[in-house]
Amino acid sequence: MADKEATVYIVDVGKSMGERRHGRSVTDLEWAMKYVWDRITATVATGRKTATIGVVALRSDETSNELREDTSFSKISVLRNLGQFLMADIRQLREAIKPSQTNKGDAVSSVVVAIQMINTYTKKLKYKRRIVLVTNGTGHMNNEGLDEIQRKIQDDGIELVVLGADFDDPEFGVKEEDKDLHKAENETLLQVLAEGCGGVFGTLEQAISELEIPRIKITKSMPSFKGFLSLGDASKYETALRIPVERYFRTYVAKPPSASSFALRSGGQEENEAGAGQSTSGGEALTTIRTSRTYQINDESAPGGKVDVERDDLAKGYEYGRTAVHISQTDENITTLETFAGMEIIGFVQMNKYDRYLHMSNTNVIIPQKANDKASLALSSLIHALWEQETYAVARLVAKEAKPPIIVLLAPSIEPDYECLIEIALPFAEDVRSYRFPPLDKVVTVSGKIVTEHRNLPTEDLQQAMNDYVDSMELDGEELPIDDSYSPLLHRIDTAVRYRAVYPNEPILEPSEQLTKFAHPDKELVREAKDSLEKLMSTANVKKVPPKTKGRKRLRETEKPLSGLDVDALLKQEPKRTKISAENAIPEFKQMLSRADSIEIIHDAVKQMTSIIETQIKHSLGDANYDRVVEGLGTMREELVDFEEPTLYNDYLAALKGKILGDELGGDRNELWWLIRKSKLGLIDQATSEVSKVTEDEAKEPPEPSGVIHRFRLEVCRIFS
Amino acid sequence: MADDSYARDEENFEEEEVDETSFRAVKDAVLFAIDVSSSMLEPRLSGDTKKPGQESPTSAALKCAYHLMQQRIISNPRDMIGVLLYGTESSKFYDEDGDRGSDVSYPHCHLFTDLDIPSAEEVKELRALAEDEEEAQKILIPSEERVSMANVLFCANQIFTSKAPNFLSRRLFIVTDDDNPHGDNKSLRSAATVRARDLYDLGVNIELFPISRPDHEFDTSKFYDDIIYKTSPSNGEAPAYLQPDTNTATAKGDGISLLNSLLSSINSRSVPRRSLFSNVPLEIGPNFKISVNGYLLLKRQEPARSCYVWLGGETPQIAKGITTLMADDTAQRVEKSEIRKAYKFGGEQVTFTPEELQALRHFGDPVIRVIGFKPLSALPIWANVKHPSFIYPSEEDYVGSTRVFSALQQKLLKDKKMALVWFIPRKNAAPVVAAMIAGEERIDENGVQKVPPGMWIIPLPFADDVRQNPESTLAVSPDPLTDAMREIIGQLQLPKGAYEPQKYPNPALQWHYRILQALALDEDHPGEPEDKTKPKYRQIDKVGSSEKDTSTSCTVILIDSQRAGDYVLAWSDQLDAAFDKMFGGTAATTSTLVKRGPKDSADSAGGPPAKRVKTEGGAGGIDEEVKRCYEKGTVSKLTVAVLKEFLTAQGRSSAGRKADLVDRVEQFFENK
Repeated sequence: MADKEATVYIVDVGKSMGERRHGRSVTDLEWAMKYVWDRITATVATGRKTATIGVVALRSDETSNELREDTSFSKISVLRNLGQFLMADIRQLREAIKPSQTNKGDAVSSVVVAIQMINTYTKKLKYKRRIVLVTNGTGHMNNEGLDEIQRKIQDDGIELVVLGADFDDPEFGVKEEDKDLHKAENETLLQVLAEGCGGVFGTLEQAISELEIPRIKITKSMPSFKGFLSLGDASKYETALRIPVERYFRTYVAKPPSASSFALRSGGQEENEAGAGQSTSGGEALTTIRTSRTYQINDESAPGGKVDVERDDLAKGYEYGRTAVHISQTDENITTLETFAGMEIIGFVQMNKYDRYLHMSNTNVIIPQKANDKASLALSSLIHALWEQETYAVARLVAKEAKPPIIVLLAPSIEPDYECLIEIALPFAEDVRSYRFPPLDKVVTVSGKIVTEHRNLPTEDLQQAMNDYVDSMELDGEELPIDDSYSPLLHRIDTAVRYRAVYPNEPILEPSEQLTKFAHPDKELVREAKDSLEKLMSTANVKKVPPKTKGRKRLRETEKPLSGLDVDALLKQEPKRTKISAENAIPEFKQMLSRADSIEIIHDAVKQMTSIIETQIKHSLGDANYDRVVEGLGTMREELVDFEEPTLYNDYLAALKGKILGDELGGDRNELWWLIRKSKLGLIDQATSEVSKVTEDEAKEPPEPSGVIHRFRLEVCRIFS
Repeated sequence: MADDSYARDEENFEEEEVDETSFRAVKDAVLFAIDVSSSMLEPRLSGDTKKPGQESPTSAALKCAYHLMQQRIISNPRDMIGVLLYGTESSKFYDEDGDRGSDVSYPHCHLFTDLDIPSAEEVKELRALAEDEEEAQKILIPSEERVSMANVLFCANQIFTSKAPNFLSRRLFIVTDDDNPHGDNKSLRSAATVRARDLYDLGVNIELFPISRPDHEFDTSKFYDDIIYKTSPSNGEAPAYLQPDTNTATAKGDGISLLNSLLSSINSRSVPRRSLFSNVPLEIGPNFKISVNGYLLLKRQEPARSCYVWLGGETPQIAKGITTLMADDTAQRVEKSEIRKAYKFGGEQVTFTPEELQALRHFGDPVIRVIGFKPLSALPIWANVKHPSFIYPSEEDYVGSTRVFSALQQKLLKDKKMALVWFIPRKNAAPVVAAMIAGEERIDENGVQKVPPGMWIIPLPFADDVRQNPESTLAVSPDPLTDAMREIIGQLQLPKGAYEPQKYPNPALQWHYRILQALALDEDHPGEPEDKTKPKYRQIDKVGSSEKDTSTSCTVILIDSQRAGDYVLAWSDQLDAAFDKMFGGTAATTSTLVKRGPKDSADSAGGPPAKRVKTEGGAGGIDEEVKRCYEKGTVSKLTVAVLKEFLTAQGRSSAGRKADLVDRVEQFFENK
């Protein structure tokens, strides 16, 4: 568990904070709040009840604090006592933080108020206590009793952070020219106050610039395995070796915050217009979603071919091929392999024979059992022996009883003050998919001849140009820049959520520079490598394929078999192939088109094909033929795009839609229409085919009010599917 | 369309191989067409005298089909497979009702297993055919009359057309030893070529598995080069044409090696190639792009999730669950278009419009952009978060991509370098920084490609993903102790000093399906599971110089003839010595050796009692104590701490209450 926290932010809201200085577009207060909001929302985002926040306004119009009897505490208002900060508090604070009409109010006194607040709230309990004061240091400050205050801060274990607008900081490089003497005195006073009690004194500019650097959430790891690393079977052989070890994450992907689904509250539209943004920051009223599950089975006798079944008639089971295998409750774990926890070494492999791409998972560290020196020593001998011999161990790991075993690689890691094994999951036989690809350093022709000069192979010049370019783009530094690369999505969403919480009406921001630091190569490096890149580009002579020809009819040479035999000539001799037959429709349609020497023949082919498709629809029992229909339509669409006859398809599709929605093709076929839309077989637009008359937007436009289809589909699910 | 934007929405955004452009279903159908002729049925004896056996080409092909069927049930549970025997005396095809029965429309074509997701019954039938000779003899009778290849191909056409409509991938595997079925008969030949063209236009790929006869080399130019096309038009991602595996064709003499090379060849084509992302620009430098396709060559294969089976009818049926979403306040059905995503924040929800949500995920179009190069040695072994993606060039967007890719790949291979890249695999996918490394082509002993040549993209962890090392005590091993361990390591190298995934099937996955198969076919419980991941304990204990046990493929190779166990004993002595020297023997002793007879249990007494729980062995001590208690029936008198320690040491779960722990301990001894 993370420590409990109590942080009081003291924000100077004096009249002078409302001014803009040194050419900044924001007032001092807005500038200061940028920092304060970031810190507050970061805490709110954790959702932790024990991370408490309080806010005090300094140089406020009003006076409201526990010590207000004493005039030295006037013009200090507690805006929010310590407690968990929620959205409502953010909204309230947003309203409350405004430059006041006064410049009165003592910063040192406000610190005392904050100490008092923390005291009252945390009592003597264990807390991380902190006071953050943000000011421009122009008000009046009283240095009486400074020692006592400092002692109190230290005794209570409070960390004091003082941040000031345009405070001088030689280290960071801020120096305010023509600084007001009074302000300079105040700066010195605050510096003495903060540093005298072990606190931090800094300039606001630095604090704000550091906001750009994403903050990493530190997660304390728990061991995912505690047991023995063993060699040999301890229960059978006296020579078995066992070292008690523990396993922790070394890497684990930090996930971006996840969104939950909500439904727009019914009538949300109107509320929306009324601007009832009371419950959410986005202005829409939301309600949570519940799910309910029903179960259905196929039943040919039922309308729609499916019937609902009761949950009580169902048993747990698995599919074996298309056979359902049920498993009775008593046998629930029957398919689970019996295993016992342990990490057992299978053997050793040489480092130079290991392919790095076999890494299948995140990585773990294996360290000796805590407080066990002998285990440390034993594991150390393994780590050093592996290291010296340039070897990895391969082991079988079962992290918990009855968990499936995995095979892991154990690699030695030796740093001056830390030794461990790095553990990574390796693939099993089933995890390897053998997709085959032709070699890249030679070309094997159909006849089996090996060719080393080919348009797909680099020439010597190209290889040389590539070598030079790669060498010129060498990155500096020993290590990969892992430490300063931040998960772009995680931090962008995190920032966006926090930003929206504070500024609900602002548009979302672009990702910060830190997040996209590695999106492009370093400019300097690119400049240095410019010449070799130009050389490479001219030697490579890569040509972009114009988008128009991409979907064009394939080259004729690929339509010949390996022998190069002219099958088209044979096809021409086949007398019967002027009529497309229903059982071999797709090949014959394609062949008819490819032989077509007039537009009439194309029209005829389409006409024949459409009548086959419609017959298939009419005779389809339920959805039995739908896949064939989609294949036929899809083929037609593809071919007509290639033949630049989109209108033929578009016209037909419109006609087909009419027939389907008009129930002319053997009853209710609306589900088919939905399937056609889903398969992206809509109108051919201009982006797909230049000669089309349909614009992209028109093609997107659902040919029917989408609600009808959509609702219908749900109906299908509900009633008979 | 609302549906689509949500299908791609964040939480559903999983790494699946998707086809973004095609209307076709991303499914695969494989139909085996196996030649049943007298020469195909001729058993071929094994040349290896140690492993006697015989195998005819037809039975080898059937075994491969059976093997593939079983494998695909696990790896591609939605894909179809079928077996068509041709050249048989009998004929079998669909009758008018669509059922299968005797039929003469395709004479001498016997559709043995209809093209479909296999059922348990079909698995059983095929196994019977592949293994049971008597059964086989009834069907595997070659016809007197020569079968027409045109008929075989059209028969396959009809099977694909009706059973696998709209599949992205449809493949016909022809296994035959006849390289010239129609000789000089021109009309039969040209009929076959026309039917082959039909298949090509239908989008069916023919893959040939040629088998040479003992006295005759299979020659594809005689007939099959007229039948087979480079790529199928409907499948832009189909492999550029790959040669049939030459070794298959030359495996003529020996039945067993024929089977093995056929298996290896078919395995390598068991799944159609499906891309993970296609035509993504690889930006080698500013304004210098080539295009590549990405593939998932390594992905953890998990058992299919359990489902609900309806038991109310004659045969069990899978019940399909349908989820409906309802608004909590009104209990009304919620349409997908009415769903909003919101983040919980400060006790409320922070919302964005769907457009804003999409914009937040957008970091530019898909790209693999080179940021610079580094030596491969700069890539730390721990810097990994998931499996890699494989990339291979595509000429579709940029002509010349292949040669440039090849030049880069060869340069990185030669100089052992890697590229650092900014990687966005798909539209709106979260960008990652990745290492791009070159991979070399690997060929197996049958001449079949095992690892393709190309490049691998290894996503690197961000600073957010790196955990701090947990605290640990450091006790650096002195040289003599390290040397003793080196001796042990030196003894236990895996074959060729390398890890071969192919040799380690996933035992849990295999067992899961083995049990399902037994349940589905009503077979006996298969008894002991086969688990190749278990270490070879006996070999680790002793080197079998005299043992003839090294036949199994994944045994550990022991280098010299001494007992490996002796090295362990020597190491253990060193450990004790070093420990005494460094820690003066006062701390709690932890015997890392399991037991070394009575001597060992004596030396464990030294530690202060408080620390005992933490030491493994009080070693022999605790084991002995628990065992004694078990024998006396007083296990329940032991403390929970002792019980937990004992169970943990045995790799057993130590969760639960004391009674559970006692039960588990007793069970442990009972099963011994």
